[in-house]
This record gives sequence, C-alpha cells and structure tokens, in this order.
Amino acid sequence: MKILLVEDEKELSDSMAEYLQKENYLCEVVNNFEYALEKINLYHYDCIIVDIGLPDGSGLNLIRSLKKNRSETGIMIISARNSLDDKITGLEIGADDYLTKPFHLPELNARIKSIIRRRSFGGVNEIVFNELRILPENMEVMVNDESLTLTKKEYDLLVFFLSNQDRVLTREAIAEHLWGDDMDMADSFDFIYTHIKNLRKKILEKGGEDYIKTIYGMGYKFTGQ
Amino acid sequence: MKLLTRTSRLYVSISVVVFIISGLIFYNILHGIFKRQLDETLIEEKLLIEQTINFSDSVPDFRLIFGHMIDVTILNAPHSKTGYIKDTLMYDHDLGTFASFRHLFAENTSFRKKGYTINIYKPLRDSEQLIAEIVISMSLVFIGLLLLLVIFNYFIARRVWIPFYRILDNLHKYEINQENPLELTSTDIYEFDLLNQALEKMSKKIRLDYMNLKEFNENAAHELQTPLAIIKSKLELLIQKENLDENQMHLISAVFEATTRMSKLNQGLLLISKIENNQFIHTEDVNIVTLIEKTIGHFEEMITHRHIAVSKNYRQQVTLNMNPTLAEILITNLVSNAIRHNINQGRIEINAEPDSFSITNTGQLLKTDPQILFERFRKSEINPDSVGLGLSIVQKIANLYLMKVDYICNQGLHTLKISYK
Repeated sequence: MKILLVEDEKELSDSMAEYLQKENYLCEVVNNFEYALEKINLYHYDCIIVDIGLPDGSGLNLIRSLKKNRSETGIMIISARNSLDDKITGLEIGADDYLTKPFHLPELNARIKSIIRRRSFGGVNEIVFNELRILPENMEVMVNDESLTLTKKEYDLLVFFLSNQDRVLTREAIAEHLWGDDMDMADSFDFIYTHIKNLRKKILEKGGEDYIKTIYGMGYKFTGQ
Repeated sequence: MKLLTRTSRLYVSISVVVFIISGLIFYNILHGIFKRQLDETLIEEKLLIEQTINFSDSVPDFRLIFGHMIDVTILNAPHSKTGYIKDTLMYDHDLGTFASFRHLFAENTSFRKKGYTINIYKPLRDSEQLIAEIVISMSLVFIGLLLLLVIFNYFIARRVWIPFYRILDNLHKYEINQENPLELTSTDIYEFDLLNQALEKMSKKIRLDYMNLKEFNENAAHELQTPLAIIKSKLELLIQKENLDENQMHLISAVFEATTRMSKLNQGLLLISKIENNQFIHTEDVNIVTLIEKTIGHFEEMITHRHIAVSKNYRQQVTLNMNPTLAEILITNLVSNAIRHNINQGRIEINAEPDSFSITNTGQLLKTDPQILFERFRKSEINPDSVGLGLSIVQKIANLYLMKVDYICNQGLHTLKISYK
C-alpha cells in the first residue's frame, strides 16, 4: 500500500508517517503543493492525505487534479480550518473523508483503513483477526463463524480497535471516535468502560478470546500477543 | 439637569442678586440726591429769611412765600450762631398722619444785635414718591430685560448646541465592531470641531486597538492549532513505546489530558473570533425542533446514564434562517449544558414557542450572578472540568442573528431561553 502524505508542517507529517508506517504502508511525505502535484502525476498511490492549507496552493486543487486524471486513489482531507464549507467542497469534488486538526493518529489510521477497504474491489473487504471476522458492508461480526450481535457503539469500538491493533488507544481518542468532540470527557470515559466491558463479555460468550488490555491511567490496547 | 436649564437658572439668580444690590445702591444714591436738593432749598430759604431779618428785624409771613411750615422767632438778646438739618417725624396736616420731614434749624444774631431762630420743615413725601416711582419703573424694565435675556439665551443656546446633539447622536449609534469608522460632520463652531477631531482621533485609536486585539486573538488561536496538533501526535507516538512503566504512563496521560483541554479551549476561542468576524456567511432555513431532536439523540447515552427525564413541548415548528453549523453549535451547547449541569435523576424540558424556544434543566443552585455566566471562561464551581466557553458562544451566535438569550433561575430550575422576532 502506497500512501502520499501532503502536509507542510514537518513535525506533524513525521508523526503521521511514523504511525502509518507501522501498518506496513509505504508512506511518502511531501511538504508543498508543487512537489505533491509532481508526485501524483508521476506515481500511483492507494491513498493520499492532503492538508488543504498548503503554503503554495490549496489542497483542494490537488484533489481536482487527481479527479481530472480519473485516479482511483483514496483521498483524505486534513485541515486546520474547522469549516463546513471546506468540508462540503472537499467531499463534493471527490474526497472520501475529512478530518479536522488536531486529530488523533488512531482516528486517521482507522479512517484511512476504511477508505482503502472501500476502494479495494478484490473482495478482501473484510477484517480478520484470529477468530474474529468483520464484514464492514453488512456491519456484521463473526466469532468462530458464529454471528455476534453488537450495538452500534460496540461495533464501532471493535472496528476502531481492529484498525489500530497493538496500539495504545487513549480514552480521549476512543471517546472522540464514538461521539465526536462535543462529548463531556469525564462522562464519556464511563461509557467507554461500559461498552468495553459488554464487548469483552459478548466475545467471550461466543468462545472468543479477550484481546482488549487495559492500560492503566491511559486507555486500552487491542493485541493478540 | 440640562445644561440649558442650568445656565438659565444661574443667569436668573445672578441677575436677581445683582438687581437687588444695585437697586439698593441706586435707591440710596437717589435718596441722597433728593435730600441734598431739599437741603439746598432749605438753606436758600434760610438765607432769604436771614436777609429779611437783617434788613428789617421784622418777621414777614414766609408761609405765603414758600407755602410750607416756617417758624421764625425774634429774640431780644443776641444769640450765638448754631444750626443743623435733620430728618424728623411730624404730624402732616395734609395727610392727617405722621410723616417724614426735613427740618432746618438755625439760630443767629442779626445785624441789629437781635437773636433769632429759624425752623423750616419740608415734607419728604414728594421725593419719596418720586423715588418709588423711579424704582418701580426701573424694576419693570429690568424684569422685562431679564425675561428677554432668558428667552433669547434659551433659543440661542438651543441653536448653538444642535451640533453637539448631532455628535452625541452619532456617538450613540457608533459601534466599535461595525465596518465603517466614526464619522462626524464638521460644524461651524470651533469648540465642537475640536471635540469632533478629538473624538474621531480617539475612536480611530480604539478601533485600531480593538481590531489588533481581535486579529491577535484570532491569529493566536489559529497559530496554536499546529503546535497543539504536533504535541498530541507526538504524545500518541510516545505512548506506543513498549518500555513505558505505569508512572511514566501517568505523566503522559496528564499531559495528554491538559493538551486536549487546551485544544478544546482553543477551538472555542477560534469559533468565537470567527463568529465575531462574521465568517459564517452562508445561511439557510434550519428547523430548530428537528435539530434539537437530533442533538438529544446524540446525547442519548449520557441522558440515560444519568437517568434524566426529557420532556418536550413543541407548540410550533421553529424554522430560523441561520448558518447550519452555527445552529448546530448553538443547540449542541444548550443541550450539553442542560445535561452537564443537571443532577442525576433530573429533568430537562424543551419548549418551542412561536417566538422563542427554551431548554430548562434541574440543577444545583447557582452561587454566582447569572449574567456573568455568559462571560468567557466563566464556569461553575460544580463542574470545573468544562472549558467555560459554552454560554459565551451561545451568546455570540444569538447576537449575530439578533436573538435574545435569557437566563432564568427558579427554584432549582435553570432555563435558557432564546427569543427571536
């Protein structure tokens, strides 16, 4: 998987690249519009992450250029501008998703995975982890080929975990993933606890293993080790 | 008190005092003059009488000549020379009462070595009457003048102060955050022009400062975004390291939480400055009731978790023409506010009326003045975790669409009411 990361803030692009590279993505980083345009014209990427406010041009124009070439590349917009107009324009001209800075890296990762999943027509449109199998199209979860009934939030939580395997997920990142950023933090931590408890119980009941580890004072980690 | 009333009053009172004092002085002077004249006549008459006595030693009937009270007595022995003139009270036959008279008394010895005394009385009433008439007519003239002065002063002042009221009117209408600068029309009065210039200069300076501050706020909030994003992303990378112990995790967690808080704060500030800068131009018809329903759904878990009962009373579908993002922020803030400051097993009541909608929640009694709730960074002592910008943002959004936000607190029920026209 090849990903192009267009972000002018070097430290930020480094962080993103470091996080994404652990997912075995080949991550290329460019820091300006001109260079990015050159790259997308020369090479093919599975996904491109674009910052809208680049010093020498709008990221929106990169998307327009990609779409003009009928590219199949998945497009993820990141922007500091918390503006609905940008979001609408971006999605209208063909971006797949939109993320506002500052965001959690696991969130970016989960969304990119989702984009890539949706783009891969090869039929591998499912997430498999040992005895767990998720069919995102039907929002269906199987444990040892047995169907598992989950609530919407539990399902979202499981997909988020599976998208960020072996990573420590902070409670903040989970809360924002599940409820957006206008949720009262203190309360949402209780809900996360409840949801995780229920999710564990349901998986265990179907003979699955408990992969969710609590990282004390920080959050949770989904790991097979 | 109006300046005009004040000056008029001062004018009148000073004039009255001046009039009384000058009237008294005038009266005295007049009185003196009349007395001197009377005295001169008395002396002349006395001289005439003395002449007669010197030449004839007889006493002619002077009453025939002068027509008033003269009393001359010839003595046999010579007499030393004395005399005076003074005021005296005598019975006036003409009036039938006692009245003031000028009395001349003289004693002397004639050429023929015979003493004599002369008493001449002249009534003062004629001159007093004259003085009274003069004073009365003077007073009338003065009062007339004073009235004219006051009236003229009133009209002149009113005319002269017109530019001042125009300036005042302009100042009233002026708002620091509006587009056009303060413009004052020039007047033909030097002092008002000076005032104009000073005001214009001052308003320009204030405006500039205000703009700078606003720009600074916006830039500061905007520029903080990137470093915050970097801190967050680096922390997220840091916690992925395998060899962290629990203590280190705790430290990172605390930094993480503080950063999240700061990030929220920053977003709030940025939002406020964007609202202030009118950056939400696009508007459409937003159905508030639908939006409230959606938001309640969004917070469903929290409402259930805290066993809050929600009752809705939609008397009318409310449709407001506003920016959809702002409408969403407005409703989200109101609803989350009602949940956050609620008590467990509490209530939330939502009302939609033709001209307003309101959200009421049960909650603990406020210790602070309700009005300052709308100030930035104002938070309740019960919930110190909140950033304290929620109601300030509500207020800003409401102001932008000329809506009115009222906070009503009644026996543990807190109501936020948004009224519109």
